[in-house]
Formats: sequence, C-alpha cells, structure tokens
Amino acid sequence: MSAKKEELSVVGKNWSRLDGVDKVSGRSIFTDDVRLPGMLYGKIVRSPHPSARIVSVDTSAAEALPGVKAVITAADAQGILIGMNQPLLPTKFVKFVGHEVAAVAALDEATAAAAAKLIKVEYDVLPTVLDMTKALRDDAPQLHQKAKRNVGWEENLDYGDPDAAFAACDVIREGEYVTNPSHNCYAEYHVCVADFTKAGQLTMWTPTQTALLFQKSLAAGLKLSDSDVRLLTLNSGGGFTGRTATRPHHFLAALLSRKAGRPVRIRASGDEEFTMCHAGGKVIYKLKSGATKDGRLKVVEADLLFDSGAYVESQMIVTLLTSRYLGALYPIQHARYRGRLVHTNNQPYYFHHGGGIAQFQFALGQHLDGLAQDLGLDPVEFNLLNAVEEGHTTLEGSHYASCGLKECIEKAAAKSGWKDKRGKLPKYKGIGIGIGAMASGAKGLFKHDTSAAFVKIADDGKATLFIGLPDMGQSSHTTMAIIGAEVLGITPDDFQVVSGDTASDPLDVGAFTQRGTFNTGNATRNACLDAREQLAATAARQLDVDADRLVFRDHRVYPDGEPDRAIPFKKVVYDTLHSLEGRFVMGRGFYNSPLKKGTMAYSFGAQIAEVTVDPGTGVVTVDRMTVAHDVGRAINPRIVEGQIDGQVFSGMSQALYEECVMENGQIMNPSRLDYKMPRAFEMPEVDHIIVETVDPNGPFGAKEVGEGPIVCTMPAIANAVADAVGRQVREMPMSPWRVLRAIQ
Amino acid sequence: MHKQLIKLTVNGDTHELAVAPNQTLLDVLRNELGMTGTKRGCTAGSCGVCTVNGEAGEAICSCLTLAIEWDGRAVTTIEGVQEGSELHPVQQAFLEYGAVQCGFCTPGLIMTAKALLDVNTSPTEDEISEALAGAICRCTGHIKVKKAVRRAAEMLRERDAAAR
Repeated sequence: MSAKKEELSVVGKNWSRLDGVDKVSGRSIFTDDVRLPGMLYGKIVRSPHPSARIVSVDTSAAEALPGVKAVITAADAQGILIGMNQPLLPTKFVKFVGHEVAAVAALDEATAAAAAKLIKVEYDVLPTVLDMTKALRDDAPQLHQKAKRNVGWEENLDYGDPDAAFAACDVIREGEYVTNPSHNCYAEYHVCVADFTKAGQLTMWTPTQTALLFQKSLAAGLKLSDSDVRLLTLNSGGGFTGRTATRPHHFLAALLSRKAGRPVRIRASGDEEFTMCHAGGKVIYKLKSGATKDGRLKVVEADLLFDSGAYVESQMIVTLLTSRYLGALYPIQHARYRGRLVHTNNQPYYFHHGGGIAQFQFALGQHLDGLAQDLGLDPVEFNLLNAVEEGHTTLEGSHYASCGLKECIEKAAAKSGWKDKRGKLPKYKGIGIGIGAMASGAKGLFKHDTSAAFVKIADDGKATLFIGLPDMGQSSHTTMAIIGAEVLGITPDDFQVVSGDTASDPLDVGAFTQRGTFNTGNATRNACLDAREQLAATAARQLDVDADRLVFRDHRVYPDGEPDRAIPFKKVVYDTLHSLEGRFVMGRGFYNSPLKKGTMAYSFGAQIAEVTVDPGTGVVTVDRMTVAHDVGRAINPRIVEGQIDGQVFSGMSQALYEECVMENGQIMNPSRLDYKMPRAFEMPEVDHIIVETVDPNGPFGAKEVGEGPIVCTMPAIANAVADAVGRQVREMPMSPWRVLRAIQ
Repeated sequence: MHKQLIKLTVNGDTHELAVAPNQTLLDVLRNELGMTGTKRGCTAGSCGVCTVNGEAGEAICSCLTLAIEWDGRAVTTIEGVQEGSELHPVQQAFLEYGAVQCGFCTPGLIMTAKALLDVNTSPTEDEISEALAGAICRCTGHIKVKKAVRRAAEMLRERDAAAR
C-alpha cells in the first residue's frame, strides 16, 4: 500500500545543485586535472589482431628511449585477472583487437607514445571467430577450453509451466531482434592517476560509479588488503552504466607506478577511448509470447545470445538482469529465459547505458506491440489491460509496494493526444508507446546492498554529510542534502556533502543498479534522524515536552501544534554542545534491503514517441516525446526532469544512431565525429509528467529515476517508426539504411 | 622542436611563455598555466568541451588551435567569465535551468553559448541549436541547455535595457 503523502517543506521543491557554481565557473576538478609532483604518463601497447600467438616482446628500444621510466610486460602482471578469466597482460595469446600486451611510463605523453611504438611484438596470426552464431558451431575456433562451443556462461530459468501456458493461448507470436555494439561516450574519457610509490599502499584517482568495488577489485588483483587501496573520486564526467568495474588501465597505471616509483596517469587518447571502454556488445533476442483472445498476455519466452567478446568481464550480470525483466511489466505466471554469453574475438564487453535491460526492452517492447496488433488491440489498450499494479509480486519475487504504471500510460496517452493520432497520421508519420520498469537497487548481485551515512552538525547549525555515493552528474549529493534537510528542518544549502575518499567515506555499494536515491537516501535519512534525536533531547528539556512531540521545520524546533514556542535550530545545536555534557551532534545511519535478493521498489514509466520518416533517405526525425514516470516522489523535480531528458537523449541516440561499426574485430568509427549521437538540433521537445505514488519504503516515498526512463524510450521510438513505415525495424540502431530496407 | 617565446593574454592577464610549435592552446592553458577549467575531450574538434572564446568573442576549439598562432592575442576561458564575485547571466541561467549535470562539458557549453550571445542577444531556436551543434552533452540531452541559453539571452536583453 502506498504511504500517505506527508506535508513536506524541503523535498519536492526545485533546488540548485550544491556543486553547480563550481561546475559553471571552471572550478570543478576531474581526474585529468590532477597533477602530482614527478607524475609520469602511461601508454598501453595493444594487439592489432583479433587472435594471435605472441611470439616475442622486445622492449629494449623503448627502455633505451630518454624519458622512459618504466616498461611492464606480462612478467610484471602475473596472476592479475580482469573479470572472470582475462589475464591483465597475456603471456601467450591475444584474443581481441586492443588486448593489452605491455605498457610504458615516461616523462610526457609524447615520449610515452613514442616508446609504446618502439616495443616490438611479433605475432603469429591465428584464425578468428567474430560472429556469435558462427562461434556456436562445432568447427569454430574455440577461445577457451572450458567454454564448450564458446558458450562462456549460461542462464536457464523456467517460471510456472511455459509449455502448458503456450498450449492454452489463442494467439502466439514469435520474432527475432538485434542490438549492435555500442559505446558509452561519456564526456570524460577513461583516465586514472595511480600512486603506488609507498610499498603496499595504492592511492588512485579515477572516475567511477562505485569506489567500493574498484577498491575491492584493485586490492584483489594486486594482493593488497582492501583498506590499503585508497580510491579518490573527484567529479566524474558521466557514468551511464559504464564505470561500474575496473578496466585494465587501472591495474597497468598501478604497476607502472610501483615499478617507476612515481605517480602515473593513463588517459585514453582519441580512438583508444573506444578500445578502453568495452561497452555494449551485440545481442540477438529470440522472443515468443502468447495471449488469450481476451487480450491477456499469458506467457513470454526469451532466448538471448550475448556477444561476450573474448572473455567474461562482467556480462553474466546482464543475463541475470534481463531475466528479471521478463515479467516486470505484466502479471504473467509463466516464462522461460535462456541467456548465453558467447565468446568471440571481439573486445570483452561490459554494457552501455541501460545495462542491457533497456536494449532488451527495444526487442520485447516491439515484440509485444506486434502481439497487441495480432490481437486486434490498440497498443495503449493492450498495455492498460495487461499492466501490473500495486501489490504485484514479480516472477523472481520482488513485491511492488507502489506502482504507477497504469497512471503513466493513461497520462502519457492523454497528453500526447494518442487517440486522435494513432492510425490517423499521414503516411511516414508515426506514434508509438514504450513502457518500462526499473529496480531501485539489485540485492543479490552482492550479499548486501548497503549504503551508510554520517552527519555532523556544527554549532552554527550547518550540517556536513559524509556518504560514499558518487555523483556522476545525477545530482545525488544534492538529493541527499535535500533528504537530510527535510529531516532536520533546515535547507539543502546548509549542507556540505563530503564524499569521494574511501579512507573517510562510509561504505556504499555505489551509484549503479539505480540504488542511490533509494538506498543511500534511506541511509541519509536514518543518519539525520539519529542526529535529530540527539538534538531533540536538548529541545525536549528546554521546552519541557516529550521528544517525540517535537517538530523540526524552517530552522526551528517546536512542540507539534505550538510553533510560537519555537527555539531556533541553531540554538538547539549550540546548547547541545555548549553544555555540561558537551555533546557534539553526529548521526549515523545505514540501509540494506531486508530482502535476501531482489528489490524493494521499482519505478515505472510510459513514453510516447512521435516520429517522421523520410521515405527517400530512411532518416527518422523524433518530433516529440511525452514522458510519464512514476518516481515515487520527486525529491528535486527539476533534477528528475534532467534525468528524464538525458535518458530520452541516450535512448533516442541508441535507437537511431549509436553503433560501433566492426570490421575484423576493429571498431571502424572510433571518434566523436563518426560515432553519431544527436546534436542539439536533432533533439525533440520533451513533455514531462512526474507521477508520484509515494513508495512506503523509499526515503519520503522516492524511488529511482536513474535508468527507468531510458527503458521506455527505445521501444517507444521503435514502435513509432513501425507505425510510420508499416513494418518493424528489428535491428538497433534504426539507421537510415535499415529503415529503407524495411520500407522497400 | 625548438621552443618559441609567445605573449598570450588569458582573461586579461598577459603571459610570456616558451612553447613548442606543436603545442595547442588547450595544452598551454591546462599544463603551462594550470588553468584546468577548460577540459580536454576528443582533441579532434568534435566534442566541444575545450571551447574558449577568441579576441572577437568567437568560439574556438582550443584543442585544434596552435598556441604560437595566438602570439600577441587574447583569449577568454571559463575562469574569466564570472564578473567579479557575480556569475555571468549564462552561468546563472545554466544553474537555474538545470543545464548542468556531470559538468565536464559545461565549460565548453558555456563558452559556446557566450560566443553566440555576445553578438546576438535575440537568437532564434535554430540559431541556438546551430551554435550548440559542435558540442556534445550526453547527460542533459541538450534540452535544458537550449532552455538555459534562451533564458540567458533574456537576462542579457534585460540587462541591456536597464543600462540604457
């Protein structure tokens, strides 16, 4: 049941971000801005071949170059694995283009680049397999002994009795969809600075979504205790699901620093950014669904093939995540999921923005739009008929304590004028709907999903909040200040948020799986409640009332219903410290979902896209997006809109443009110019409808908004394109040539 | 490569610097002068994060500009936009309208917007979009950036009217 909407004085207003002035005035520091005394510059030597045996590595010329301070090869990196099975620097075989072979550190970037070129690696080129479907054949080159037919990981899940369910259906639809390799395109390129000059202690500056997991990964690889790795996160120039795991350059910078005895910076240069990123790989989705003639969806079956690339870095998470979204939107009891990670000689993939879930919804959303039409139903009608509601429990056991999916569909349809447009638009104009759900946190990926927070309150009434949640732009630090301010009855600008140093940050799993607002928000709320309790003891004595009767609001503390008796907040803090007890106000709080696995809250959304297709060129223009999203409670509405805007951009970008064009394992378009994203003039108007269902478990009812919207964007645009041209374009991106092929 | 002495004026301060002929303006600003407000992006002129303003207020990619070309000339960087302790209307509008997220491309976007508004305080939608075409911003999707530029234009017009 949704919680009652309490009257709030801080939450729900538009607040400027606390780091805003620094960001608009050039004061904000990012990792590339860090310069340490004696710092060297690293450069990585990479394989130009998708598959080859390393015959020899000769570093002598590089070592002799003036200005070169360290060279490392496989011998320096023994036993360090990236992900499940990738040696940091392989001794015998390179298995993808860009595979790290050696690294150098020199006095400047130019010398490092020159030295890298002087490292002579002799290769014996081997047969390759770059296509997943070919990799599954018996005669394909085998990348790993343990991975039979190149299947590196497989997930098979059955819920209910899918076969019996299909047998009882009146309408069954099957279809195949494809999404292509892509790249996150953060504003800030991959970069790190490592200082490993003190024996057994590594300090690293790098943009990240999770300092905790980076710390653990570096410590495990370098055989250190976790606390001997200190992660310093400055501003991070975007995350987009792409900064959730360490990459080889983090380890290489550390090893170079240890060898040279000086700090080392490694920063991706130009096209290397695409090589270092290892974003999303190709996925083939085979889908089958069934419904009864009353329009009810009964069963969904999905067989997914993921190009894992040469190793399994972290894609097994994608199989787990996509499987959870089979029945997230519709109350089906029967489903079958098969997900296979297939090894090829492509780069080992992580994920692009949307974490595989949004890309899966490009396929599932189009597939079910087709099923609706097979049933003779308007897609909005079909979705309203089948949408999940509050109280639903998903196939994997998550319970929806709040759910505004139907409200989102209704409001988006009404605002966009769906009824007047669908089926009534001129040729080559289309309108389509996409719906989605997104978990706030993902317990089960780790044993705990904990966020912790400390707050201290100085005797001038100002608060300092310590958290371990990174802010990659989503304004999470300001969101936490707003939550804290609401609890203490002060304002967000009374807060300083201190974060970004594992030595002082309270533990936090990080800013991914959309857990920040929900988990760290609850931790922050708990820490501030703890501090408030300490202050309430003072105020209760002064006002001679029970502490639980006290209201903290508008920088004042007063008994409920008696605001005229208020004591200024600042005075309560002052008196608490300047007393016989001398109590310094410090609150602590943490939050970990009580579930064994799964998620306490989901956000829901519906988006309606309106597009125009040029039948001569196949170019798709998005004219308008109507976005409704159930965020539980908008802590900072303008920031919620900003999250929606960014995800509409990214969803549209992936739906229409973004593709790493591959040839023989090589990315052929590795630049900001050739890898297309929307420019300002290509962006449509976006209408925002914020739906607030006030989740009983969220901080002041809030749920995630970090990745829910993007899940709706891709199917909305795809379904609008299908409406415009009369046929689905089943491969993403829906590039002009793919759209033309569908028209012809 | 032999270094060459140049005189470069940045935000009103003139510096005498020895630079290599292949050193870019971006490199000199960040690494010789320590002014890291101007960010390093693609270094190929396609992302816009390194944008600074030239002598006539025009937007230039500092990554594609050789420092020696700017001998005897002046540039304005993000650090020089603020007016005393007050934010410039473009900066204020970016803050007010939520056009700032990760902040990495923000300096470049602000210098791009300022270059437009310095010569045209009544830009059309198309002129705003065209001016921003060289800047990439994944976080904001340009949507609130366009609104902020519109708002900054309005603020500048109000300021001009008040000064008259």
